[in-house]
Amino acid sequence: MIKIVIKDLKLFFNDKGSMLMAFAVPIALITLFAFAYGGVGKGNKSNKIVLQVSDLDNTTESKEAIEQLDSLKSIQIKLKDLEDAENAIKTGEASSVLIIHKGFSDSLMAGNVLPLELKYDEAREIEIGLIQQSLIPTISMLPFRLKGSKNVIGKRLVKMTGTTDLQTQQSIQNQSDNLYDVIAKSIVESSQGNDKIKNPSSGFFGEDMKMTKIIKAEHSNRIGLVQAVAGTSVMMLLFSVVGIGLGLLDEKKEGTLKRLIYSPIKPGNILLGKMISANIMSILQLFIMFLFAWLAFGLKIGSQLPGMIITIVATSFACSAFGVFIASFAKKREQIQGLSILIILAMSAIGGSMMPLFFMPAFMQKLAAISVNYWSIQAFFDVFWRNLSVTDSVFLSRILILLLIGGILNTIAVVLFRKNILKLV
Amino acid sequence: MPNVSNIHTLNSIKKHSAENMIEVKNLKKSFGDREVLKGINFSIKKGELYGLLGPNGAGKTTTISILSSLLIADSGEVFIENLNLRTDTNAIKRITGVVPQEIALYNDLTALENLMFWGGIYNVPKQELSQKANELLQLFGLEDRKNDRIKNYSGGMKRRINIAAALLHKPKILFLDEPTVGIDPQSRNLIFEVIEKLHHERITIIYTTHYMEEAERLCDRIGIIDNGEIIAEGTLEELKKNSPVKEIISITFSGMNNDNYKKLRSFRSDIKLTENIVHFYTSDAKTELPKLVSFCNQAGLEFNNIEILKTNVETIFLNLTGKQLRD
Ligand SMILES: Nc1ncnc2c1ncn2[C@@H]1O[C@H](COP(=O)(O)OP(=O)(O)OP(=O)(O)O)[C@@H](O)[C@H]1O
Ligand SMILES: [Mg+2]
Repeated sequence: MIKIVIKDLKLFFNDKGSMLMAFAVPIALITLFAFAYGGVGKGNKSNKIVLQVSDLDNTTESKEAIEQLDSLKSIQIKLKDLEDAENAIKTGEASSVLIIHKGFSDSLMAGNVLPLELKYDEAREIEIGLIQQSLIPTISMLPFRLKGSKNVIGKRLVKMTGTTDLQTQQSIQNQSDNLYDVIAKSIVESSQGNDKIKNPSSGFFGEDMKMTKIIKAEHSNRIGLVQAVAGTSVMMLLFSVVGIGLGLLDEKKEGTLKRLIYSPIKPGNILLGKMISANIMSILQLFIMFLFAWLAFGLKIGSQLPGMIITIVATSFACSAFGVFIASFAKKREQIQGLSILIILAMSAIGGSMMPLFFMPAFMQKLAAISVNYWSIQAFFDVFWRNLSVTDSVFLSRILILLLIGGILNTIAVVLFRKNILKLV
Repeated sequence: MPNVSNIHTLNSIKKHSAENMIEVKNLKKSFGDREVLKGINFSIKKGELYGLLGPNGAGKTTTISILSSLLIADSGEVFIENLNLRTDTNAIKRITGVVPQEIALYNDLTALENLMFWGGIYNVPKQELSQKANELLQLFGLEDRKNDRIKNYSGGMKRRINIAAALLHKPKILFLDEPTVGIDPQSRNLIFEVIEKLHHERITIIYTTHYMEEAERLCDRIGIIDNGEIIAEGTLEELKKNSPVKEIISITFSGMNNDNYKKLRSFRSDIKLTENIVHFYTSDAKTELPKLVSFCNQAGLEFNNIEILKTNVETIFLNLTGKQLRD
């Protein structure tokens, strides 16, 4: 079997076309995307960013506040349990959660600092930036927007001045009530559906939103670079492993598979040999891609080396399984070649190889989970961007899923191989 | 001390294995509802070179594919060196070399790399393998091209490597499925010489072909296969002796057209026409010839030349099946 592997690798390196596809093309693409993603986040207005909201207060006021946020054009609100929301951030499904803590209503009425908190994945600074831009003005104007909070401003001003004189307090209260009417009216008039409200008191309640990082990221790498390397490598890897898989069909066509069956080699080992050579090829290819990103773009690997190795191995396993899986579906190369290119491009598109996931609408982000690309790219993000440790359960769950995908695809491939390919006639 | 009966059994086993290296019994195979092999029987002695001669689609490759475990027969039995093909598949595979009808090599590897690979999968030790590979390259006259990729080889050179690839593990038995299809005379002769050498080394060989000259030149015994059945079997002499056709009267006519041909067919139906030459198959040319000449004269058919030829495998085949070996 080892002989089959060596022969396959020899054949691969002898074939200039697949060498080009495996190394030169992805390197060119990584370069291209790395520059392209340099400008990530500058001009995307069209898509709504999903903001998870956990309402722990659950009062009329908190609900009203959520309604206010929901009216923002750039943000789509998703109400969630806090735990679910935090998990979603950890798995990369969402970037952040706005928590309305218990006592929101009381604090609002009492004119105290509002117990709001934005927990977020620091790795996704671009999205968080966008969310902040939209949220802060709205939050700072909340007291003006909520019904029945007319005297809140006054109360707060009273607290801020710290006066104990009842008359002064009353006078502040009265004046602020008048002010409230004017501002609230102007807000309603000027900001129907407009995020960029005139902000008469910028920062006034702005500090009410506490920012909490959920995942401590050191920002060792630029997100665009990680996206470019991981996205491109995985996509191009799929192309080359499908090439190796299709080699099985070539062996059938060329008659060499026949010769292999004449020999005392177990037919199962013929497939196993292919799987192993696809794996070796994959690991090699990914290493070279990341090596290139390190040399050319300064991708920081450092302490992330173990995570990178684990992810590369798991990705290789899943992808090479995909390669033989695709091949074992057909009796001839021609039957599957075109389709396989289509499948790879589709998986790459939805899985985030071509475009960062958060640019995509929510349902597409969900759909991403059906692609190998998604799990692999997310795992690379865990390693190079979220700086998760290799024992982190989120990271491990992704690795597990990759291994699972590989296992399942390999199993199906074995069954189909016997049915479609071994039957030479 | 073995007693007499023991010696007897021992001898009979020895005798059996010495006599029949390959035994094929009532082999049947259908693809869908098409019966391609209809009960093939033959046995081959050790060191014998057995020819399976038959036209396209006769079932030669199907037979070889079953013998080399690529296909499984629907029924029937195969014994090779007294091993049952169904149960001792791997043991049989180890002592068998198969040269498939098509070139089955890695085009992007060199000849030497191919040989090293194909020998390697039979677990031939590296040193021995390398020696054997070079020996075969020399034998097939390709030593100076051994580091060229197969894809740059000519058809005849590919055919040579295709055969060499089956010899690296020094098989006791060799199946050659039409190994000389579409090659130049030089390569063909070289291949014949190698096969004769292997035959000389007492390797048991099955050689399929639809060239009667090949069967006549190489084979100890010939099985004529048609439509999934062996319709005649024996040495060339036996086949000739048993054939009702002993001689061929070959007449070259000065003009041949459909009408004239029809007239001739009314005299004898088993005739063969090539351009102006008509072959009449006969068991006794001396008595047949005068009748034929007088028929031609009466029918007004002019001829330039008459020859009496000896039969060959092709005429035997034609006589048996009413078909040509080749179209
Ligand atoms: N896989 C298959 N499915 C259906 N029919 C088949 C298959 N393989 C062979 N046949 C048919 O079986 C018959 C015998 O084929 P086979 O290849 O054994 O003939 P052959 O004697 O080797 O002919 P040739 O001289 O052309 O190589 C042919 O009619 C062929 O069409
Ligand atoms: Mg054939």
